[in-house]
Amino acid sequence: MTNMVLEFKRAAFKWPDGPELKNINLKVGKGDFILITGPSGSGKSTLLRLASRLEEPSAGIILFNGIPITEINPEMLRRKVAFIQQTPTVTDGSVKDNLLLPYSFAVNRKSQVPDDKDIRENLKKLRLDINPDKDASSLSVGQRQRLCILRSLLLKPAVLLMDEPTSALDPESRLLVEKMSEEVNLEGTAILMVSHSEYRPSVPYRKITVKDGRITEERQ
Amino acid sequence: MNGAIEISTGNLAIGLIFIVIAGIMSVIHGLKLEKDLTIGTIRSIAQLTAMGYLLKIIFSMESAVFVIILFAVMTFFAAEIIKGRVKKQNVPYFLPTLFSVQITFFLITYIVTALIVEAKPWWTPQYFIPIGGMIAGNSMSALAISLDRLFSDFKAKRALVEMKLCLGASPAEASSEIFKDALKAGMIPSINGMMGAGLVSIPGMMTGQILAGSDPTEAVKYQIVVMLMLVASTAIASFIVLKLVGGRCFGKGGNLLV
Repeated sequence: MTNMVLEFKRAAFKWPDGPELKNINLKVGKGDFILITGPSGSGKSTLLRLASRLEEPSAGIILFNGIPITEINPEMLRRKVAFIQQTPTVTDGSVKDNLLLPYSFAVNRKSQVPDDKDIRENLKKLRLDINPDKDASSLSVGQRQRLCILRSLLLKPAVLLMDEPTSALDPESRLLVEKMSEEVNLEGTAILMVSHSEYRPSVPYRKITVKDGRITEERQ
Repeated sequence: MNGAIEISTGNLAIGLIFIVIAGIMSVIHGLKLEKDLTIGTIRSIAQLTAMGYLLKIIFSMESAVFVIILFAVMTFFAAEIIKGRVKKQNVPYFLPTLFSVQITFFLITYIVTALIVEAKPWWTPQYFIPIGGMIAGNSMSALAISLDRLFSDFKAKRALVEMKLCLGASPAEASSEIFKDALKAGMIPSINGMMGAGLVSIPGMMTGQILAGSDPTEAVKYQIVVMLMLVASTAIASFIVLKLVGGRCFGKGGNLLV
Protein backbone atom coordinates (compact mmCIF):
# COMPACT_ATOMS: atom_id res chain seq x y z
CA MET A 1 0.00 0.00 0.00
CA THR A 2 1.32 3.38 -0.89
CA ASN A 3 -0.19 5.28 2.01
CA MET A 4 1.26 3.01 4.70
CA VAL A 5 3.10 5.09 7.30
CA LEU A 6 3.82 2.48 9.93
CA GLU A 7 3.97 -1.29 9.70
CA PHE A 8 4.86 -4.00 12.23
CA LYS A 9 6.06 -7.22 10.60
CA ARG A 10 6.28 -10.25 12.90
CA ALA A 11 7.59 -7.97 15.66
CA ALA A 12 8.28 -9.55 19.06
CA PHE A 13 9.46 -8.24 22.40
CA LYS A 14 9.97 -9.67 25.88
CA TRP A 15 10.46 -7.74 29.11
CA PRO A 16 12.78 -9.56 31.58
CA ASP A 17 9.91 -10.07 34.02
CA GLY A 18 6.92 -8.54 32.28
CA PRO A 19 4.61 -8.84 29.30
CA GLU A 20 5.62 -10.38 26.03
CA LEU A 21 4.61 -9.45 22.49
CA LYS A 22 4.65 -12.22 19.92
CA ASN A 23 4.43 -12.08 16.15
CA ILE A 24 2.83 -8.62 15.93
CA ASN A 25 1.57 -7.66 12.48
CA LEU A 26 -0.06 -4.29 12.16
CA LYS A 27 -0.48 -1.84 9.31
CA VAL A 28 -1.11 1.84 9.94
CA GLY A 29 -2.15 3.95 6.98
CA LYS A 30 -1.92 7.72 6.60
CA GLY A 31 -4.66 9.31 8.66
CA ASP A 32 -5.68 6.08 10.43
CA PHE A 33 -7.07 6.28 13.95
CA ILE A 34 -6.31 3.09 15.88
CA LEU A 35 -7.59 2.53 19.38
CA ILE A 36 -5.55 -0.01 21.37
CA THR A 37 -7.19 -1.76 24.27
CA GLY A 38 -6.41 -4.77 26.42
CA PRO A 39 -5.84 -5.81 30.02
CA SER A 40 -3.25 -4.02 32.21
CA GLY A 41 0.28 -5.25 31.58
CA SER A 42 -0.63 -6.89 28.27
CA GLY A 43 1.98 -4.92 26.32
CA LYS A 44 -0.10 -2.07 24.86
CA SER A 45 2.40 0.61 25.85
CA THR A 46 5.29 -1.59 24.71
CA LEU A 47 3.74 -1.66 21.24
CA LEU A 48 3.95 2.15 21.07
CA ARG A 49 7.43 2.21 22.59
CA LEU A 50 8.63 -0.18 19.87
CA ALA A 51 7.34 2.15 17.14
CA SER A 52 9.34 5.08 18.52
CA ARG A 53 12.42 2.93 19.26
CA LEU A 54 12.20 3.54 22.99
CA GLU A 55 12.50 -0.25 23.00
CA GLU A 56 14.00 -2.51 20.34
CA PRO A 57 12.12 -5.60 19.10
CA SER A 58 13.73 -8.98 19.77
CA ALA A 59 12.50 -10.23 16.39
CA GLY A 60 10.75 -8.91 13.29
CA ILE A 61 10.89 -5.41 11.84
CA ILE A 62 8.98 -2.16 12.01
CA LEU A 63 8.76 0.07 8.95
CA PHE A 64 8.12 3.79 8.72
CA ASN A 65 7.12 4.94 5.23
CA GLY A 66 8.39 1.56 3.99
CA ILE A 67 11.86 1.93 5.54
CA PRO A 68 12.95 -0.22 8.51
CA ILE A 69 13.11 2.16 11.49
CA THR A 70 16.54 0.77 12.37
CA GLU A 71 17.80 2.43 9.18
CA ILE A 72 16.40 5.84 10.13
CA ASN A 73 18.23 8.26 12.39
CA PRO A 74 16.44 7.80 15.77
CA GLU A 75 16.16 11.57 16.34
CA MET A 76 14.62 12.06 12.90
CA LEU A 77 12.27 9.10 13.40
CA ARG A 78 10.98 10.41 16.72
CA ARG A 79 10.00 13.80 15.37
CA LYS A 80 7.98 12.02 12.67
CA VAL A 81 6.59 9.30 14.96
CA ALA A 82 5.79 11.34 18.06
CA PHE A 83 5.21 9.64 21.40
CA ILE A 84 2.93 11.18 24.04
CA GLN A 85 3.62 9.81 27.50
CA GLN A 86 0.90 8.71 29.88
CA THR A 87 2.01 11.23 32.51
CA PRO A 88 2.62 14.64 30.91
CA THR A 89 6.18 15.73 31.52
CA VAL A 90 7.14 19.39 31.38
CA THR A 91 10.50 21.00 32.01
CA ASP A 92 11.26 23.92 34.33
CA GLY A 93 10.25 27.23 32.79
CA SER A 94 7.26 28.76 31.10
CA VAL A 95 4.67 27.34 28.70
CA LYS A 96 6.57 29.04 25.88
CA ASP A 97 9.90 27.55 27.05
CA ASN A 98 8.30 24.11 26.89
CA LEU A 99 6.89 24.66 23.43
CA LEU A 100 10.26 25.87 22.16
CA LEU A 101 12.25 23.08 23.87
CA PRO A 102 12.37 20.81 20.77
CA TYR A 103 14.01 23.58 18.73
CA SER A 104 17.04 23.51 21.03
CA PHE A 105 17.83 20.01 19.76
CA ALA A 106 20.14 19.68 16.76
CA VAL A 107 17.68 17.68 14.64
CA ASN A 108 15.06 20.45 14.84
CA ARG A 109 17.37 23.44 14.35
CA LYS A 110 16.42 23.85 10.71
CA SER A 111 12.70 23.80 11.52
CA GLN A 112 10.82 27.04 11.60
CA VAL A 113 10.58 28.14 15.23
CA PRO A 114 7.05 29.26 16.11
CA ASP A 115 6.87 32.93 17.00
CA ASP A 116 4.75 34.42 19.78
CA LYS A 117 1.77 34.82 17.41
CA ASP A 118 1.94 31.13 16.35
CA ILE A 119 2.16 30.04 19.96
CA ARG A 120 -0.87 32.10 21.00
CA GLU A 121 -2.92 30.89 18.02
CA ASN A 122 -2.07 27.23 18.67
CA LEU A 123 -2.83 27.53 22.37
CA LYS A 124 -6.17 29.07 21.48
CA LYS A 125 -6.90 26.34 18.94
CA LEU A 126 -6.44 23.73 21.70
CA ARG A 127 -8.61 25.76 24.05
CA LEU A 128 -5.57 26.32 26.24
CA ASP A 129 -6.39 29.85 27.22
CA ILE A 130 -3.20 30.46 29.15
CA ASN A 131 -0.48 33.05 29.15
CA PRO A 132 2.59 31.62 27.31
CA ASP A 133 4.77 33.13 30.02
CA LYS A 134 3.00 31.19 32.77
CA ASP A 135 5.10 28.68 34.70
CA ALA A 136 4.37 25.29 33.10
CA SER A 137 4.61 23.45 36.40
CA SER A 138 1.64 25.44 37.71
CA LEU A 139 -0.72 24.06 35.03
CA SER A 140 -3.31 21.40 35.80
CA VAL A 141 -2.58 17.84 34.64
CA GLY A 142 -5.10 18.24 31.82
CA GLN A 143 -3.53 21.50 30.64
CA ARG A 144 -0.08 19.93 30.85
CA GLN A 145 -1.18 16.98 28.74
CA ARG A 146 -2.57 19.29 26.05
CA LEU A 147 0.62 21.35 26.21
CA CYS A 148 2.66 18.17 25.67
CA ILE A 149 0.50 17.16 22.70
CA LEU A 150 0.82 20.65 21.18
CA ARG A 151 4.60 20.55 21.72
CA SER A 152 4.79 17.39 19.60
CA LEU A 153 2.26 18.60 17.03
CA LEU A 154 4.26 21.73 16.27
CA LEU A 155 6.90 19.39 14.79
CA LYS A 156 4.23 18.13 12.34
CA PRO A 157 4.56 14.39 12.98
CA ALA A 158 3.11 11.81 10.59
CA VAL A 159 2.12 9.51 13.46
CA LEU A 160 1.06 10.35 17.00
CA LEU A 161 1.54 7.54 19.53
CA MET A 162 -0.59 8.29 22.60
CA ASP A 163 -0.08 6.14 25.67
CA GLU A 164 -3.25 6.46 27.73
CA PRO A 165 -3.19 10.25 27.36
CA THR A 166 -6.42 10.73 29.30
CA SER A 167 -5.93 8.28 32.17
CA ALA A 168 -4.93 10.96 34.69
CA LEU A 169 -7.44 13.57 33.54
CA ASP A 170 -10.80 14.76 34.81
CA PRO A 171 -13.81 14.16 32.49
CA GLU A 172 -13.74 17.68 31.03
CA SER A 173 -10.01 17.56 30.23
CA ARG A 174 -10.43 14.05 28.86
CA LEU A 175 -13.04 15.21 26.39
CA LEU A 176 -10.83 18.10 25.29
CA VAL A 177 -7.86 15.79 24.65
CA GLU A 178 -10.05 13.29 22.79
CA LYS A 179 -11.57 16.01 20.63
CA MET A 180 -8.14 17.45 19.97
CA SER A 181 -6.85 14.01 18.88
CA GLU A 182 -9.74 13.64 16.46
CA GLU A 183 -9.12 17.10 14.97
CA VAL A 184 -5.44 16.30 14.51
CA ASN A 185 -6.41 13.00 12.89
CA LEU A 186 -8.78 14.75 10.47
CA GLU A 187 -5.81 16.87 9.35
CA GLY A 188 -4.05 13.64 8.26
CA THR A 189 -1.98 12.56 11.26
CA ALA A 190 -2.24 8.84 12.00
CA ILE A 191 -3.05 8.15 15.63
CA LEU A 192 -2.39 5.07 17.74
CA MET A 193 -4.01 5.60 21.10
CA VAL A 194 -3.85 3.23 24.05
CA SER A 195 -7.05 3.64 25.98
CA HIS A 196 -8.59 1.98 29.00
CA SER A 197 -11.73 4.06 28.92
CA GLU A 198 -14.91 3.47 26.99
CA TYR A 199 -13.85 6.11 24.51
CA ARG A 200 -15.44 5.84 21.06
CA PRO A 201 -13.92 8.31 18.60
CA SER A 202 -16.32 10.30 16.44
CA VAL A 203 -13.98 9.83 13.47
CA PRO A 204 -13.62 6.48 11.62
CA TYR A 205 -11.36 4.25 13.67
CA ARG A 206 -10.04 0.72 14.08
CA LYS A 207 -9.86 -1.03 17.41
CA ILE A 208 -7.26 -3.61 18.28
CA THR A 209 -6.93 -5.62 21.46
CA VAL A 210 -3.60 -6.75 22.89
CA LYS A 211 -3.97 -9.94 24.90
CA ASP A 212 -1.55 -12.71 25.79
CA GLY A 213 1.13 -11.04 23.71
CA ARG A 214 -0.90 -11.05 20.49
CA ILE A 215 -3.19 -8.54 18.82
CA THR A 216 -6.61 -9.05 17.43
CA GLU A 217 -8.51 -6.51 15.38
CA GLU A 218 -12.08 -6.22 16.51
CA ARG A 219 -13.61 -3.77 14.15
CA GLN A 220 -12.68 -2.02 10.97
CA MET B 1 65.00 19.91 61.35
CA ASN B 2 65.56 16.25 62.20
CA GLY B 3 63.56 13.37 60.65
CA ALA B 4 60.56 11.82 62.37
CA ILE B 5 61.01 10.08 65.73
CA GLU B 6 61.16 6.34 65.06
CA ILE B 7 58.36 4.20 66.49
CA SER B 8 59.59 0.88 67.88
CA THR B 9 57.62 -2.29 67.14
CA GLY B 10 56.69 -2.57 70.82
CA ASN B 11 55.35 0.95 70.87
CA LEU B 12 53.47 0.30 67.63
CA ALA B 13 51.71 -2.58 69.37
CA ILE B 14 50.36 -0.07 71.91
CA GLY B 15 48.35 1.28 68.97
CA LEU B 16 46.28 -1.90 69.14
CA ILE B 17 44.71 -0.45 72.29
CA PHE B 18 42.60 1.73 69.96
CA ILE B 19 41.17 -1.37 68.29
CA VAL B 20 40.55 -3.00 71.67
CA ILE B 21 38.57 0.10 72.74
CA ALA B 22 36.48 -0.08 69.56
CA GLY B 23 36.02 -3.85 70.10
CA ILE B 24 34.77 -3.33 73.67
CA MET B 25 32.25 -0.77 72.38
CA SER B 26 31.07 -3.29 69.80
CA VAL B 27 30.64 -6.03 72.42
CA ILE B 28 28.87 -3.77 74.94
CA HIS B 29 26.39 -2.44 72.37
CA GLY B 30 26.03 -5.71 70.45
CA LEU B 31 27.23 -4.15 67.17
CA LYS B 32 28.75 -7.47 65.99
CA LEU B 33 31.68 -5.60 64.46
CA GLU B 34 34.37 -7.63 66.28
CA LYS B 35 35.06 -9.85 63.27
CA ASP B 36 35.28 -6.89 60.86
CA LEU B 37 37.50 -5.00 63.30
CA THR B 38 39.87 -7.99 63.58
CA ILE B 39 40.01 -8.62 59.83
CA GLY B 40 40.35 -4.89 59.13
CA THR B 41 43.22 -4.55 61.60
CA ILE B 42 45.08 -7.58 60.23
CA ARG B 43 44.51 -6.48 56.64
CA SER B 44 45.63 -2.91 57.20
CA ILE B 45 48.80 -4.03 59.07
CA ALA B 46 49.61 -6.65 56.43
CA GLN B 47 48.80 -4.45 53.41
CA LEU B 48 50.66 -1.39 54.71
CA THR B 49 53.69 -3.44 55.79
CA ALA B 50 53.79 -5.10 52.38
CA MET B 51 53.40 -1.69 50.72
CA GLY B 52 56.23 -0.30 52.87
CA TYR B 53 58.63 -3.05 51.85
CA LEU B 54 57.51 -2.91 48.22
CA LEU B 55 58.05 0.85 48.07
CA LYS B 56 61.45 0.45 49.69
CA ILE B 57 62.44 -2.05 47.00
CA ILE B 58 60.98 0.04 44.17
CA PHE B 59 62.60 3.25 45.48
CA SER B 60 65.98 1.54 45.66
CA MET B 61 65.67 -0.03 42.21
CA GLU B 62 64.64 3.19 40.45
CA SER B 63 63.14 1.16 37.61
CA ALA B 64 60.49 2.65 35.35
CA VAL B 65 59.11 -0.85 34.69
CA PHE B 66 58.34 -1.44 38.37
CA VAL B 67 56.72 1.99 38.62
CA ILE B 68 54.48 1.11 35.65
CA ILE B 69 53.57 -2.25 37.20
CA LEU B 70 52.66 -0.60 40.49
CA PHE B 71 50.66 2.04 38.57
CA ALA B 72 48.72 -0.72 36.78
CA VAL B 73 48.04 -2.60 40.02
CA MET B 74 46.93 0.54 41.92
CA THR B 75 44.57 1.69 39.17
CA PHE B 76 43.12 -1.80 38.74
CA PHE B 77 42.28 -2.02 42.44
CA ALA B 78 40.84 1.51 42.36
CA ALA B 79 38.47 0.45 39.55
CA GLU B 80 37.59 -2.76 41.44
CA ILE B 81 36.74 -0.77 44.58
CA ILE B 82 34.53 1.62 42.58
CA LYS B 83 32.72 -1.41 41.13
CA GLY B 84 32.01 -2.55 44.67
CA ARG B 85 30.72 0.86 45.75
CA VAL B 86 28.34 1.55 42.86
CA LYS B 87 25.10 -0.47 42.84
CA LYS B 88 25.02 -3.23 40.23
CA GLN B 89 23.78 -1.99 36.84
CA ASN B 90 22.92 -3.56 33.52
CA VAL B 91 25.32 -1.12 31.87
CA PRO B 92 29.00 -2.20 32.03
CA TYR B 93 31.25 0.44 33.55
CA PHE B 94 34.39 -1.34 34.80
CA LEU B 95 36.61 -0.70 31.77
CA PRO B 96 35.60 2.99 31.41
CA THR B 97 36.33 3.41 35.12
CA LEU B 98 39.75 1.77 34.83
CA PHE B 99 40.56 3.87 31.77
CA SER B 100 39.46 7.04 33.51
CA VAL B 101 41.56 6.36 36.64
CA GLN B 102 44.61 5.49 34.53
CA ILE B 103 44.42 8.59 32.34
CA THR B 104 43.87 10.87 35.33
CA PHE B 105 46.58 9.22 37.44
CA PHE B 106 49.12 9.45 34.63
CA LEU B 107 48.29 12.91 33.31
CA ILE B 108 48.04 14.78 36.60
CA THR B 109 50.94 12.96 38.25
CA TYR B 110 53.13 13.69 35.24
CA ILE B 111 52.30 17.40 35.40
CA VAL B 112 53.07 17.50 39.13
CA THR B 113 56.31 15.49 39.07
CA ALA B 114 57.73 16.77 35.78
CA LEU B 115 56.61 20.40 35.71
CA ILE B 116 55.96 21.47 39.31
CA VAL B 117 58.26 19.36 41.50
CA GLU B 118 60.70 18.95 38.59
CA ALA B 119 61.71 15.46 39.70
CA LYS B 120 64.38 13.89 37.48
CA PRO B 121 63.40 11.53 35.97
CA TRP B 122 59.71 12.48 36.13
CA TRP B 123 58.75 8.94 37.17
CA THR B 124 61.02 9.00 40.25
CA PRO B 125 59.11 6.46 42.40
CA GLN B 126 59.39 8.51 45.61
CA TYR B 127 57.26 11.22 43.98
CA PHE B 128 55.31 9.45 41.25
CA ILE B 129 53.82 6.68 43.41
CA PRO B 130 52.57 8.60 46.48
CA ILE B 131 51.26 11.52 44.42
CA GLY B 132 49.58 9.14 41.99
CA GLY B 133 48.16 7.22 44.93
CA MET B 134 46.50 10.34 46.28
CA ILE B 135 45.06 11.08 42.83
CA ALA B 136 43.78 7.51 42.42
CA GLY B 137 42.27 7.55 45.92
CA ASN B 138 40.43 10.82 45.42
CA SER B 139 39.41 10.03 41.85
CA MET B 140 38.02 6.76 43.18
CA SER B 141 35.65 8.58 45.54
CA ALA B 142 34.68 11.11 42.86
CA LEU B 143 33.99 8.40 40.30
CA ALA B 144 31.88 6.36 42.70
CA ILE B 145 29.81 9.46 43.57
CA SER B 146 29.46 10.53 39.91
CA LEU B 147 28.48 7.08 38.64
CA ASP B 148 26.03 6.51 41.47
CA ARG B 149 24.42 9.89 40.75
CA LEU B 150 24.32 9.21 37.00
CA PHE B 151 22.55 5.87 37.38
CA SER B 152 20.14 7.01 40.10
CA ASP B 153 19.21 10.16 38.12
CA PHE B 154 18.60 8.15 34.95
CA LYS B 155 16.18 6.00 36.92
CA ALA B 156 14.49 8.87 38.76
CA LYS B 157 14.26 11.13 35.70
CA ARG B 158 13.48 8.49 33.11
CA ALA B 159 10.23 10.21 32.04
CA LEU B 160 12.05 13.53 31.50
CA VAL B 161 14.85 11.92 29.47
CA GLU B 162 12.40 9.96 27.33
CA MET B 163 10.23 13.06 26.83
CA LYS B 164 13.26 14.87 25.36
CA LEU B 165 14.21 11.84 23.23
CA CYS B 166 10.66 11.79 21.87
CA LEU B 167 10.99 15.42 20.81
CA GLY B 168 14.10 14.64 18.77
CA ALA B 169 16.85 15.05 21.36
CA SER B 170 19.98 12.97 20.91
CA PRO B 171 21.03 10.87 23.94
CA ALA B 172 23.64 13.53 24.81
CA GLU B 173 21.05 16.32 24.60
CA ALA B 174 18.47 14.36 26.57
CA SER B 175 20.92 13.61 29.37
CA SER B 176 22.87 16.88 29.49
CA GLU B 177 21.32 17.99 32.82
CA ILE B 178 21.95 14.58 34.40
CA PHE B 179 25.53 14.66 33.12
CA LYS B 180 26.12 18.11 34.64
CA ASP B 181 24.65 17.12 38.00
CA ALA B 182 26.72 13.92 38.16
CA LEU B 183 29.91 15.79 37.24
CA LYS B 184 29.21 18.42 39.87
CA ALA B 185 28.50 15.78 42.52
CA GLY B 186 31.90 14.19 41.85
CA MET B 187 33.78 17.49 42.01
CA ILE B 188 32.18 19.06 45.08
CA PRO B 189 34.06 17.04 47.79
CA SER B 190 37.47 18.10 46.48
CA ILE B 191 36.34 21.74 46.22
CA ASN B 192 35.00 21.57 49.78
CA GLY B 193 38.37 20.11 50.79
CA MET B 194 40.04 23.30 49.55
CA MET B 195 37.61 25.45 51.54
CA GLY B 196 38.39 23.72 54.85
CA ALA B 197 42.13 23.23 54.33
CA GLY B 198 44.17 24.93 57.05
CA LEU B 199 41.02 26.00 58.91
CA VAL B 200 39.41 22.72 59.89
CA SER B 201 42.28 20.31 59.45
CA ILE B 202 45.94 20.01 58.63
CA PRO B 203 45.67 17.96 55.43
CA GLY B 204 47.29 14.52 55.16
CA MET B 205 50.32 15.22 53.04
CA MET B 206 51.29 18.28 55.08
CA THR B 207 50.83 16.32 58.31
CA GLY B 208 53.14 13.59 56.99
CA GLN B 209 55.82 16.04 55.97
CA ILE B 210 55.67 17.92 59.27
CA LEU B 211 55.92 14.64 61.21
CA ALA B 212 58.86 13.68 59.00
CA GLY B 213 60.58 16.93 60.04
CA SER B 214 59.98 19.21 57.05
CA ASP B 215 59.69 22.96 57.44
CA PRO B 216 55.91 23.66 57.68
CA THR B 217 56.18 26.49 55.13
CA GLU B 218 57.73 24.04 52.66
CA ALA B 219 55.12 21.40 53.52
CA VAL B 220 52.44 24.00 52.72
CA LYS B 221 53.70 24.33 49.14
CA TYR B 222 53.32 20.62 48.55
CA GLN B 223 49.91 20.65 50.16
CA ILE B 224 48.74 23.51 47.92
CA VAL B 225 49.83 21.55 44.86
CA VAL B 226 48.01 18.50 46.20
CA MET B 227 44.76 20.39 46.82
CA LEU B 228 44.82 21.92 43.34
CA MET B 229 45.70 18.67 41.59
CA LEU B 230 42.93 16.82 43.41
CA VAL B 231 40.32 19.27 42.10
CA ALA B 232 41.60 18.78 38.57
CA SER B 233 41.86 15.01 38.91
CA THR B 234 38.33 14.56 40.24
CA ALA B 235 37.03 16.79 37.42
CA ILE B 236 38.94 14.96 34.69
CA ALA B 237 38.22 11.47 36.06
CA SER B 238 34.50 12.18 36.47
CA PHE B 239 34.26 13.83 33.05
CA ILE B 240 35.90 10.90 31.23
CA VAL B 241 33.90 8.21 33.02
CA LEU B 242 30.59 10.05 32.59
CA LYS B 243 31.23 10.59 28.89
CA LEU B 244 32.06 6.92 28.37
CA VAL B 245 29.41 5.39 30.65
CA GLY B 246 26.73 7.97 29.79
CA GLY B 247 26.93 6.88 26.15
CA ARG B 248 26.60 3.23 27.13
CA CYS B 249 23.34 4.00 28.96
CA PHE B 250 21.65 4.29 25.56
CA GLY B 251 21.13 1.63 22.92
CA LYS B 252 21.70 1.92 19.17
CA GLY B 253 18.22 3.37 18.75
CA GLY B 254 18.96 6.09 21.29
CA ASN B 255 16.80 4.18 23.79
CA LEU B 256 17.53 4.39 27.50
CA LEU B 257 18.93 1.12 28.85
CA VAL B 258 19.31 1.96 32.57
